[in-house]
Amino acid sequence: MSPGGLSPFVAAIALLATPAVATTVVSPGPERVSVTIYRDPDRSGGGTLDLRWLAGFALVTETRTVTIPAGESELRFEGVAEGIVPVSAIVTGLPGGVVQKNRDARQLSAAALVDGSLGRRVTIRRTNPETGRVVEEPAVIRAGPDLGVILETKAGFEALGCSGLPEKLVYDQLPPGLSSRPTLSVTTRSPAAATVKVSLSYLSSGFDWSANYVARVAPDGRTLDLFAWLTLANGNGESFPAADTQAVAGTLNRTRDDGARDDGPDPQLRLQCWPMDSTRSAAESMTPVPPPPPPPPPPAPAPQMAAPDVVVTAARFQAVQEELGDLKLYRVPERVTIAANSQKQIALVQKTGVPFERLYTATVSAELGDAQSKPTAILLRTKNVVARQLGVPLPSGRVALFEQAAARDILVGEGQLRDTAVGEDVEIAAGVSEQVRIALTDPGADPRERLMTLTNANPFPVKVEVLIRTSPERPMERPSVRLDTKNGLRLWAAPVPANGSATLRYRLKPNG
Amino acid sequence: MRWLPLLLLAPSAAALAQGAQGDVSVTIYNDDLALVQDVRQIALPAGRSRQEFPDVSAMIRPETVSLNGQDIGIVEQNFDYDLLSPDKLMEKAVGQVVTIVRTNPGSGAETREQARVLAVNGGVVLQIGQRIEVLRDDGLPVRVIFDKVPDNLRARPTLSVTVESARAGTRAAALSYLTPGIGWKADYVALFDEKAGRIDVQGWITLTNRTGTTFANAGTLLVAGSPQGAPQPQRWIPAPPPRPGGIRNAGTQSAPRERLGDYYLYPLKERTTIADRQTKQVSFLDVSGAAARKAYEYRVGWLATNEEPQSADTVLKFSSSAEGGLGDALPAGTVRVYMRDARGSPQFIGENAIPHSPMGSELALKTGDAFDVKAKPVVEARERIGTSRWRTTMRYTLTNARPDAVTVDLVQGGLDWGWSDTRIASESLKSERQASDATLWHVPVPGNGETTLTATFETRY
Repeated sequence: MSPGGLSPFVAAIALLATPAVATTVVSPGPERVSVTIYRDPDRSGGGTLDLRWLAGFALVTETRTVTIPAGESELRFEGVAEGIVPVSAIVTGLPGGVVQKNRDARQLSAAALVDGSLGRRVTIRRTNPETGRVVEEPAVIRAGPDLGVILETKAGFEALGCSGLPEKLVYDQLPPGLSSRPTLSVTTRSPAAATVKVSLSYLSSGFDWSANYVARVAPDGRTLDLFAWLTLANGNGESFPAADTQAVAGTLNRTRDDGARDDGPDPQLRLQCWPMDSTRSAAESMTPVPPPPPPPPPPAPAPQMAAPDVVVTAARFQAVQEELGDLKLYRVPERVTIAANSQKQIALVQKTGVPFERLYTATVSAELGDAQSKPTAILLRTKNVVARQLGVPLPSGRVALFEQAAARDILVGEGQLRDTAVGEDVEIAAGVSEQVRIALTDPGADPRERLMTLTNANPFPVKVEVLIRTSPERPMERPSVRLDTKNGLRLWAAPVPANGSATLRYRLKPNG
Repeated sequence: MRWLPLLLLAPSAAALAQGAQGDVSVTIYNDDLALVQDVRQIALPAGRSRQEFPDVSAMIRPETVSLNGQDIGIVEQNFDYDLLSPDKLMEKAVGQVVTIVRTNPGSGAETREQARVLAVNGGVVLQIGQRIEVLRDDGLPVRVIFDKVPDNLRARPTLSVTVESARAGTRAAALSYLTPGIGWKADYVALFDEKAGRIDVQGWITLTNRTGTTFANAGTLLVAGSPQGAPQPQRWIPAPPPRPGGIRNAGTQSAPRERLGDYYLYPLKERTTIADRQTKQVSFLDVSGAAARKAYEYRVGWLATNEEPQSADTVLKFSSSAEGGLGDALPAGTVRVYMRDARGSPQFIGENAIPHSPMGSELALKTGDAFDVKAKPVVEARERIGTSRWRTTMRYTLTNARPDAVTVDLVQGGLDWGWSDTRIASESLKSERQASDATLWHVPVPGNGETTLTATFETRY
């Protein structure tokens, strides 16, 4: 938010950039800002944030106080996020309304200086490498910047950077219409001079958030504590101090064409010369090292997400959920600073003593016999209802499951939770069991008969759910145990005793 | 001595900078195309003369250029794009004499010599007096000074017209051409009030200019339509099911706007400068309190099971008609939808694209997925009832975690694949057969509850 105000350099550009409008008012930064962060709509299953490439976005709403003169003026907004989607900008609160909104992407660069000075007087400055004597000469730029720069001096025509001498161009003034970075401005026509509060809101890329769940199973193995972090990340070079902060869960529709990348490539300055082959080795002679581009380039932006700064806020500080249409909005209860290139975590969900059921699951085909036994997947199942100490919307995210053993927490499973509404089942993956296994065999006497065996090497009884796929041509007949139906598949829900086994016999309907 | 001619050259140099344009009007079409009309005052001698036109779009389509003026006949038009570069300059100097300036690396003293360029193939071969040398063969600094640049090399692609004028004098000449690089679309901001069932919509015209040229103080007219393209020929593969977003019923009303044949015209009220690499937005629509409602839709692509419930689409429905709608024809663009949160601040809830929509159209835009309203289709049973006849029983479970009752428009698609002999044998709620391939139920789901719907289909596959 560049709190120090404008440097004279930027102010000069601002004035030069708008020859048509009488007055330019620069708003250097907001007084109050609200940031609502939305997730990457394509990262549906949760997933982790890639801090170098944050594909979510944010709605930034800023309040700024500006003093506008009577008549037409141009109001330039500085300190906006660099990922701004310019076409989404909304400006309200101007007494004269908005005549037009502009976003200018012509940036001041070495190439833009040459381009804008084409046909104008500049000065060529050569430094004698031995004596250090500086010779200046007026020149006119005759060609550039794409294929090299050609200058006309009183001696004739010369190419810049081809002689091997240190030489550079010096400009008297900046070409009009160049700014130090893409700038959003609005033109307004005020009936009278006034100091007003203006609200600017826009969508910006380069933000994202995720929910990360930690489930801890209680020592008795019957309940778990569910905790979730709301992890916010800002990949913009702009910080948002003391921001009202929200995060929105759910999937929003976005269109690909957001206008953010309409600028096209920036012009490049390439000091190309004529062929420079020599009679010596090519490697040595092919090095007409071009001198550095004449003007000092604008300061490079801070490298993206260099060494992200992780801030963990105390967990007693929890996001408050409210409804936003068909989405869920989480409000951070106090204003926080969303620093540039950083991530921040606050508590999203804290639930304790959630009763759950431990299940072993497998999905098999009814037809294929495979004598080799296979491990089963472990699942903790509960229901997202108040009666089970839950009953809150659970945004999708990764789940890490811990159990206690040997007086420490041990990670026993990692899975994903989809967006789970109140009343839905919650299933947390808890790893794979090699102790509880399933095998499907062909007992031999009747080629149509199958035997499914569950074995349990644990010293405690387990519940296993086996989903059996059948082909409509060959349904299962005469199962030895009563089967249920789930998701259109046959379900064998079997209790297996400690260090014991359970079996299911059935026949397949003959072919044809 | 040569300094004077250089200064005399300065006017043409100034003309290369902004300012050569005259009275500019720009007509901009949607599909990245604009017609530029530029009326310039040019001084013409009597008889034949060659006129250069700097400051035209750098992306100009030269074949579309025309020039009109009083007592002017066009002899020929040229578009020269042989660009001046150090490489070209040296190539064109073959056989000519250049000045080389050597700087002694020890003393810093300069020596000047005349040299003839013999060849520029890989390296530059020079003849200096009786010696033959390769330029900068020793790597030491050597400046090369050329006397002139070839006439046909230019700093920028340049349009020139040779005209025959009946009389001498300054007069207006209208230059017109087409150029890509400028386009426009609409951007809409819609603030939806769900309780009141209303939306406030502001429409903005968004211009983008990537031509490399600034059009100063231009009279600007936007045309909603694409004069270039006939619709794409029908693809042979079946089109994917329509995604919620766009026109449900095309309108039949005419908007009170200027038009040209079938295209609506949107003139900007005042002249504006369209700067290079600029995105400009100008308001064209501001409507408060148009009727709007939210709906839920879910489409099952074919007779298949979803193992997990999936969110229904949240769809915003409104009309562009004069009665209770936005009351205007809507140019194609993006609609961004906002809703107020508990504190009254507008929050973004999704966006979608709309096509050019005639006034009176019914529009339905998917804004996102409903967190709390979900559907889960399951194939309960599938059996063969004939040689090419199958019976499939579907069960749809619709859940609603919101406190209020909702209605979900559930569509089962993929019922036949062009055979038109699919029959709905039974269903627990009467459906509307939209087409032979799809059927639609309006399923009421109670607040914090669920509804189960079953249907049995007889299909060829």
